[in-house]
Amino acid sequence: MDFARRAILGQIAKLTAGAALVPLASLSFSPSAHASPINSQPARREGDASKRYGMIIDLRQCIGCQACTVSCHIENEAPMGSFRTIVSQYEVSNKSTGDMATMVLPRLCNHCENPPCVPVCPVQATFQRKDGIVVVDNEACVGCAYCVQACPYDARFINKETQTADKCTFCAHRLEANLLPACVESCVGGARIIGDMRDPNSQISKMIAQHRSELMVLKPEQGTLPQVYYLGMDERFLSRPQAEPALWDVRDIDGKEIGYEFLDH
Amino acid sequence: MNSSIIEILTPRYELAWYPWAVQYFFLIAISYSALLLSLPGTIGRGQFAQRWQPMARLALLITLTCTLVAPVALLADLHQPMRFWHFYANATSTSWMSIGSILLPLYLFSVLGYVWLAWRPALLQARQGHGFAAGVARLLSAGDWQVRRSVLTIVALTATVFAAGIMLYTGAEIAIIKARPLWHTNWLPVMFVTTGMVAAAGLVLVLNRFMSPAREGRSEINRQGLKVILVAMLVSAFVAAAWLLSGLSGHSESVAAALESVQANSDWRLSAIWALLAGVILFAFAAIALKARTQSAAISRWVWLVGILALHVGWAFRWMVLMEVQTVAKNTAGYYQLVVELGSYGLMGIIGTFGLWLAVLLLVDLFIPWQGQAHQRPHQSLAAEAQHG
Repeated sequence: MDFARRAILGQIAKLTAGAALVPLASLSFSPSAHASPINSQPARREGDASKRYGMIIDLRQCIGCQACTVSCHIENEAPMGSFRTIVSQYEVSNKSTGDMATMVLPRLCNHCENPPCVPVCPVQATFQRKDGIVVVDNEACVGCAYCVQACPYDARFINKETQTADKCTFCAHRLEANLLPACVESCVGGARIIGDMRDPNSQISKMIAQHRSELMVLKPEQGTLPQVYYLGMDERFLSRPQAEPALWDVRDIDGKEIGYEFLDH
Repeated sequence: MNSSIIEILTPRYELAWYPWAVQYFFLIAISYSALLLSLPGTIGRGQFAQRWQPMARLALLITLTCTLVAPVALLADLHQPMRFWHFYANATSTSWMSIGSILLPLYLFSVLGYVWLAWRPALLQARQGHGFAAGVARLLSAGDWQVRRSVLTIVALTATVFAAGIMLYTGAEIAIIKARPLWHTNWLPVMFVTTGMVAAAGLVLVLNRFMSPAREGRSEINRQGLKVILVAMLVSAFVAAAWLLSGLSGHSESVAAALESVQANSDWRLSAIWALLAGVILFAFAAIALKARTQSAAISRWVWLVGILALHVGWAFRWMVLMEVQTVAKNTAGYYQLVVELGSYGLMGIIGTFGLWLAVLLLVDLFIPWQGQAHQRPHQSLAAEAQHG
């Protein structure tokens, strides 16, 4: 049953990746500015409407070195323990042969075409720019954390220093200065490819055209139409993986973190 | 696939909503449920209304105090509470929370108006006396003009409409979150209302034991409260069953997620068993107490414990839904840690909210003749006796 479910999920993922790409060709996603019904996408604002940023993560190139995690952390000054991007790592073993493999899965905000975090924001502090990047105006944010609950990817967190919602912005400030996002810049294998999907000559557009049938997105069943595409993805990891949790932190009586330990090992 | 997966590296995700949220949902649910309980005795007519009048006095007290304290807990759950005015500067039609932020003050003020009008006859009477309480009554009654009964009815119905809005938004706000399958079910808003009614009736039983004047209606209130608990528990059981069935028939991911959580985690299994037990015990005790009312004395002394259990059911349901569900990881294996810290984000917040509510309750009890006119007589006669003596 598990297998069947995974297989179906995989099919959905591919279909959804395809479906997610279709509207980009026609560039027709522009909800009306006023009187949006409850929980529908409000109008996009700011940003360059002639662009649509997206990312491909080529898992065949990722070695799980966490350079992206570190460079993002430094670039965006997230507080210790909170991450805008992280590479999840899994150990997969084949029970019959005993073969082991490592699965690495970079996670970040998917800058969805239908971001569930945006309509829930009660003060419009989080919004989607016309170039598709989902950002937070942390001077408007009231810190209600509704968006944190609404994101199916755990891509958002409450920044303990600013007490407001925080997330990956595709390093919008760097893109505007014609720089690559910190994670892309620092990726040793060139596994992260960012670009304008409306420019047919961009590397990302070419890769999408070339690998269209192999691309997958995370949690396709959520209907969020993620715009971070994974190449070389294993279907078992599309949703919350059926995995044993391994590393957990250890706290003393006062709740202070004193280290890590393996659970059940 | 014949493989096993171990998650080696993952960050620790902290829960974004604190126990303050539980306190808000708990108090506001008691508030709107008590408002409903107060209606027949306050705006109704005829014999039926008369029978519900003693209950209405307690229900008004409960709805007022809970309505005053609930928004404080809500404000505290914001990470930037001083920015609450952004809700009104940037109202957002797409967000249930924004709609709620507009409904909440409307509800608050309509409840204040309703309770004030309902208590005004007693305040007018209290004006006549001397001393501090009479001074407060003079201040609160704002003149000795009379108001038509129809005005009270209109204000009461307005408050009821806003109460329906609160029921809708508090439920919808949670139920639309697709990212958390345990929340994403249409049965959740209904369950919030029914368990809210259980808790409100429970609080009626508790206050009836400790605050009701020792006079007419006390055992009648108990009987009514127990009946409300029984009916609300039956409806809750029906809703829970419907939720489960909709999942077992493959229509709801919420149930699948719930079952998965229960299977994989012993804490969740314990909680589920406890919830079932508490529900059954509450129902049984309420039924027994209702049945045994004829030999009332002992029963009516202890029936407040059924009320405490009802409050527990209402509160624990919200704790499970709002706090425990947040520990179900969205992407990673295992569960996030729910650490209830001692400080204001944890235990002190929970205790503090109840403390604040108790303080408000005692202040109202001290200065406002909420028990109505009949309560005034023994006081006045005592005072008169003291003066004459």
